[in-house]
Amino acid sequence: MFRIKHHPILGDVDENKEDDVLIYVDGKEYNVRRGEMIAAALMANGIRVFRKTIKHNLPRGIFCGIGRCTDCVMTVNGIPNVRTCVTPVEDGMKIETQKGSGEWGGLGGKA
Amino acid sequence: MTDKDVFICRCEEITLAEIEQAIDEGFVTVNDVKRRTRAGMGLCQGRTCGKQIARIIAQKTGIPLESLLPGTTRSPVRTEKMEIFKGEQDV
Amino acid sequence: MEKREVVVIGAGPAGLSAAIEAASAGCRVLLIDENSKPGGQLFKQIHKFFGSKEHRAGTRGINIGKELLEEAERLKIEVWLNSEVCGIFEQRKIWIVKDKKKTILLEADRIILATGASENAVSFPGWHLPGVMGAGAAQTMINIHRVLPGKRVLMIGSGNVGVIVSYQLLQAGAEVVAVVEGAPRLGGYGVHTAKIRRAGVPFYVSHTVASAEGSDKVEKATIVQIDSSWKPVYNTEIELEVDTICIAAGLTPLAELAYLAGCEFTFTPALGGHVPWHNRQMRTNLEHLYIAGDISGVEEASTAMEEGRMAGLQAAASLGYIIEDRKMEKEKLIQARLDGLRSGFFGEKRMNAKNAIFSAGGSCHESK
Repeated sequence: MFRIKHHPILGDVDENKEDDVLIYVDGKEYNVRRGEMIAAALMANGIRVFRKTIKHNLPRGIFCGIGRCTDCVMTVNGIPNVRTCVTPVEDGMKIETQKGSGEWGGLGGKA
Repeated sequence: MTDKDVFICRCEEITLAEIEQAIDEGFVTVNDVKRRTRAGMGLCQGRTCGKQIARIIAQKTGIPLESLLPGTTRSPVRTEKMEIFKGEQDV
Repeated sequence: MEKREVVVIGAGPAGLSAAIEAASAGCRVLLIDENSKPGGQLFKQIHKFFGSKEHRAGTRGINIGKELLEEAERLKIEVWLNSEVCGIFEQRKIWIVKDKKKTILLEADRIILATGASENAVSFPGWHLPGVMGAGAAQTMINIHRVLPGKRVLMIGSGNVGVIVSYQLLQAGAEVVAVVEGAPRLGGYGVHTAKIRRAGVPFYVSHTVASAEGSDKVEKATIVQIDSSWKPVYNTEIELEVDTICIAAGLTPLAELAYLAGCEFTFTPALGGHVPWHNRQMRTNLEHLYIAGDISGVEEASTAMEEGRMAGLQAAASLGYIIEDRKMEKEKLIQARLDGLRSGFFGEKRMNAKNAIFSAGGSCHESK
């Protein structure tokens, strides 16, 4: 796990998980913190590859972290090219590793 | 992977070799390299590669960085879905 | 069309300060930010600021941010979050997309652009791999989201951002495997450089990253020595086992909206490249358009806040909310604080660069 639970300046993270939300990443369930950015939730769970590129099918992940570079885009609830570093998770959110420029409705056209 | 195969434009996956070739062909502004190679035409609109392309042009041609302006900026400067403009009265 | 007296774009340290200054003078202010929370990059700055007491030295960025938000709330400043400014038309009309759903056109008497800066990239074979990221991205991950971007980090760049983020990565529990600096000497604040050195982090000067390798994410980095013309020196490669490579290679002002609005630009490498021309009062060549913070030249959060105060003050004064004497009095105080922040080893270069912009002059176009 990559969560920073203890920090000398920011203090300890409240371990209360009652407020967690459930998200689906490529069909797999994850409990993540309510309101955190999708990218942070994925990184916390050791997921590094967010998409594969159009031309060369190369992996990409977080790069700028503040919504500028668009490298971290994924298909979220059937909408392709969502910048995961600036989009918060929502309960029941369906997130897919994006292939190329993605497809509306997600893979297989299912919303 | 050689140094020339390194991607300069991450979005459009344009390599250093492709950009240098464009410069050799006479495309020596950030906008012209963009039109020739698509570098800077991707989702991020050249935010990551623009400055690097200017530097490559400067190094190869001797044109001072000062006169290499960033690529043209156009509205909308953020990625938006076309559907939100449907039936728009104001714009 | 909706109207506001002063519209501030960007709610980071500069924008918040500008909005507070203009609102406390009595202006009807709207503060817009594309993010879901205000504060810009201030809340990831958990280190203590430098400077003297009146510059809030010794206070952590995160606490300054909280105070600014409280002040903005006390002044009942109207804040639109999740609101992306997509364009500026006819000099005063601002095109906003709210919540990715609704588009709004708004007219402003004065606009203050406080859009900040973005990190510069350094390209090398393998830099597309997940695990290669901006130092600022790593800082956002650890200090805002409280998630480690990786466990073993290579930092490219020993400037202030490079050493501060290295130190904060250590605080967050990551291992910083090495800090690599292309120049023959280290470039960052002594205090943070010393801290990471004491923690046993090796520094490699006159080195650069040659490549990143890994199947679908960074597993290894190769660094190499470079000569005075930045060419790799034969047979000096060192392989490092890392899962994260952070790039701290400076910042570039985010000036798209200034281009769209029709601002004149100057080229000032010491401040990040092309920046909108502006005077000491932070006004651009357009009479109604002001800038503050990193968009006007990359400096620090502390200078950004003072520039924000200056822009807010001038915008309010130009609308008749502050009498001339009072304006001059406040302007002098802000200017003195800015001068203080632009002194010393790091500050002087920025001071000279700023002065060069101010003295370059700029034609002021009458606004419609």
